[in-house]
Amino acid sequence: MEIKKVETEVLCVGGGIAALMGAIRAAECGARVVVADKGNTLTSGAGGAGNDHFLCYIPEVHGDDVGHVIRSALNGQMGGIIRTFGPTQAVKWFKKSFDIVKLWDEWGIPMKPYGEWRFAGHAFPGQTRTMLKYHGKYQKKVLTREAHRRGVNIMNRTMVIDLLGDENGVTGAVAVDTRENRLTEFRAKSVIMATGLIRRLYPGPAPMVMNNDTHPLNLTAEGRVMAYRLGAKLFNIDMLVRQIAIKGFVRAGQGSWVGVYRAPDGKPLGKYVSKPNVDTGDILPEVDNKVFTDTLESGKGPVYMDCTGISDEVLEFMKTGLTHEGCEALVDYFQKEGINPQKHPLEFKSLGLVGAGGLIWHDENAATSVRGLYSAGDCAGRGISCAATFGWYAGENAAQYSKDDSASINETDSQSKVEEKRELIEGILKRKSGYDWKDANIALLQTMEEYAGLVTSADMLDAGLKHLKRLKAKVDSSLVATNQWELTRCLEVIDLYNMAELIFLAALDRKESRGFRQRIDYPYSDPLLLGKMQITRQVGGKPVIEWSRVPHAL
Amino acid sequence: MGPQIDYDKCNGCGICVELCPTDVFFGTKGFGKTKGEKPVISYPDFCWHCNWCVKECPEDAVFLQIALSMQIAYSERPLLKT
Repeated sequence: MEIKKVETEVLCVGGGIAALMGAIRAAECGARVVVADKGNTLTSGAGGAGNDHFLCYIPEVHGDDVGHVIRSALNGQMGGIIRTFGPTQAVKWFKKSFDIVKLWDEWGIPMKPYGEWRFAGHAFPGQTRTMLKYHGKYQKKVLTREAHRRGVNIMNRTMVIDLLGDENGVTGAVAVDTRENRLTEFRAKSVIMATGLIRRLYPGPAPMVMNNDTHPLNLTAEGRVMAYRLGAKLFNIDMLVRQIAIKGFVRAGQGSWVGVYRAPDGKPLGKYVSKPNVDTGDILPEVDNKVFTDTLESGKGPVYMDCTGISDEVLEFMKTGLTHEGCEALVDYFQKEGINPQKHPLEFKSLGLVGAGGLIWHDENAATSVRGLYSAGDCAGRGISCAATFGWYAGENAAQYSKDDSASINETDSQSKVEEKRELIEGILKRKSGYDWKDANIALLQTMEEYAGLVTSADMLDAGLKHLKRLKAKVDSSLVATNQWELTRCLEVIDLYNMAELIFLAALDRKESRGFRQRIDYPYSDPLLLGKMQITRQVGGKPVIEWSRVPHAL
Repeated sequence: MGPQIDYDKCNGCGICVELCPTDVFFGTKGFGKTKGEKPVISYPDFCWHCNWCVKECPEDAVFLQIALSMQIAYSERPLLKT
């Protein structure tokens, strides 16, 4: 197996919005930058097919007080991450967001396609709107071009599988090529971990069809687990996320629909809108996700997104929004099948469990708890604006750090880690019999849903952890791949299992119910834990879980 | 399900192979860089339906077959009694 060596100042792990923004800014600050993406930066990540809404504060629209915009955003789906960041980080984010909007518009991502700063969707009637409607379909193409223009070296089809260094500082990474039999050893003064969302940890919305999901299936847990292995803090890793989406052909884009969620008898399920509102949409899913499951499971009937009555103009606005939000294939499908939202109420449902899998903690400078390691995007926050803004800060600070004294490279440790990965990979490729990645992945989905799902208890979690460990032992020693594509999936699955083990421990440690995580042995939310976050990190090779106050939390 | 190709129209330019985020066309000789090599659809069940292969194909040779398990359910009549 070829082992290539690449030396740089800033290494971006992942090639999505956060990674590219980090790369662009780091290069502008004078650093040599490499981006390693397991896909192609033109189309990769949650933003790979575009987005149509960007959370931001625009003084000329919102006035001088950023506080009221943040408070408005607290009420919706972004509330959780804003609260966990705390006021200092949230204010820094929101205040920077307009600069990012202007940059994107300057580079050619239309942020003002309607001639004015148009805020719509994800909003309560009568409240400040916080989501800027934009045309993001080609955003990855634009960001890739801007990175290239600044001399960033983009290595596509290159999946980083471990970091080099230790808790005193990061020194590089090891990556596997997803197409050819090759390892790359990166030497870098700083690293930006920006690997995005996690999928394939819990069953998706259509468990029989793994790829019918809101986001690409190769977004997995290794970014967070690698950071953890180096000693970085992860937080709230057992917390669960659920979303509402169109049933069947699953897509993201909750806020792009202009209609009302109704029961089969036509009655609105929420209290905020009774007819389609192009400025707000229907914010019900961000307030009450449970009503969707309750209506379906009680046998009452499906829940509908009812856009009937919208004008042709609003229909066009909605279809344009959906197209830019990565739902172009859905819009094409409607056309082909003769489905018209103006006439046909569409069935929507609550998606399968979407475990967030915890996030990498970072401060307001996007710095993690490990020197030289920065993090941004969906592996450390939530949403496009958060990714773009903290990606920017990560780039700026990583570049600065890489010019100062940084951790020296320990040759012996690096070589042994590279050797360890080479042996792992050769083992998987050469094995004559064993388990394939899909079987291992399905076993994981079953285990997570059954034991660490919506409703659980200490007995359930204990039993689940024991079962997981038995499966994990087989996964760690007996996976088989017949080519580099399958090998990539196997490596993803190994770290999904590692993430799962940490989640069980975190869920056991959390002696309360919170959000979607319900424990029957602790059925209440503990007020003493409000304003705190649960931190998981590796100390002496073992996971340690502790609670820490969110800075300046209310 | 996933992408389907009309190989009579396909000119082997390799754009779809180059762009696919999840490498559905893995195994195509040259990985899209060998002109004239028609794409192999190796992992259609890993297709995320992002639509890049469909829209960027210069010959309109690619379309997405939406699986039966992914068909949209809808009401043919309005819900509200007018």
